[in-house]
Amino acid sequence: MKISTKGRYGLRALIDLAISNDKGYVSLADISDRQDLSLNYLESIFANLKHAGLVIGMAGAQGGYVLSKPAKNITLFDILTVLEGDMSVYDNVGDETKIRSFLNRNVWDAVDENVNQILTQTTLEDVIDEIEIQNLSAGCSEL
Amino acid sequence: MKLSTKSRYALEGLLYLSVHGSNQPLSVKDIAAGTGVTVAYMEQIFFSLKKSGLVSTTRGARGGYELSQPAEEISVGMIIRAIDGNIVPVKCVDNLSLCTSRVRSNCVSRQVWIQVSNAIADVADSLTLEELKNKYLAENGGAEHENIN
Repeated sequence: MKISTKGRYGLRALIDLAISNDKGYVSLADISDRQDLSLNYLESIFANLKHAGLVIGMAGAQGGYVLSKPAKNITLFDILTVLEGDMSVYDNVGDETKIRSFLNRNVWDAVDENVNQILTQTTLEDVIDEIEIQNLSAGCSEL
Repeated sequence: MKLSTKSRYALEGLLYLSVHGSNQPLSVKDIAAGTGVTVAYMEQIFFSLKKSGLVSTTRGARGGYELSQPAEEISVGMIIRAIDGNIVPVKCVDNLSLCTSRVRSNCVSRQVWIQVSNAIADVADSLTLEELKNKYLAENGGAEHENIN
């Protein structure tokens, strides 16, 4: 079971963007630098995110990207379905034998449901809050 | 975020084995026929399952595969780990040093992947072959009345 490079890098970049969101448009070069991600790859990912309406882009010297709506209104589910497509752990391919349809209903759908619950309940703001709490406690332990 | 077909078929094979193999070992041929998976693929799968100790073989005319431990002690999570090696969607969840990024120690997304991983494992580790077998038999009116479609 694997999340694609696009899903992993895209989420990381979008969290970075959300952290800086109150500072106006953020350039992909800055995200590339902070997150150790290739600029070319970020450009292609952000074209996707823009097309899906999650970010707004502005061209020019002061340009870059901002979130299209407040971080509390964007869930992990919104983000990962754009980056990964369907988040189910299985494809409905092959013959639908009795045993397969039984396991789809009783095992794999139950896994999907549990994952989807986390993804739809967690917003980008929750993720950022969590990071700030961690940074704060890391800062305190250094004192 | 897909599980390997191999681990899904492994669960199918093991469920079939626990439903039909409680009295005698089953051949790979039987398990393949019962699940609709090819014999060659099922052979590979049971070879891996044997290596990880979930099934054992008995020799002889009535030989074949059987579960090497009680069905209530085998979870779906154990089966996925036996086939795929792990059950995490991103490898850093198990071991941060597998990540090659220079910013890995301040990673902003790892916590999300840990949560997703836990959501998967919570379900997979709590479901046992025994539970699935009983539910399957209840749905299908017993092992004798079964055909695969």
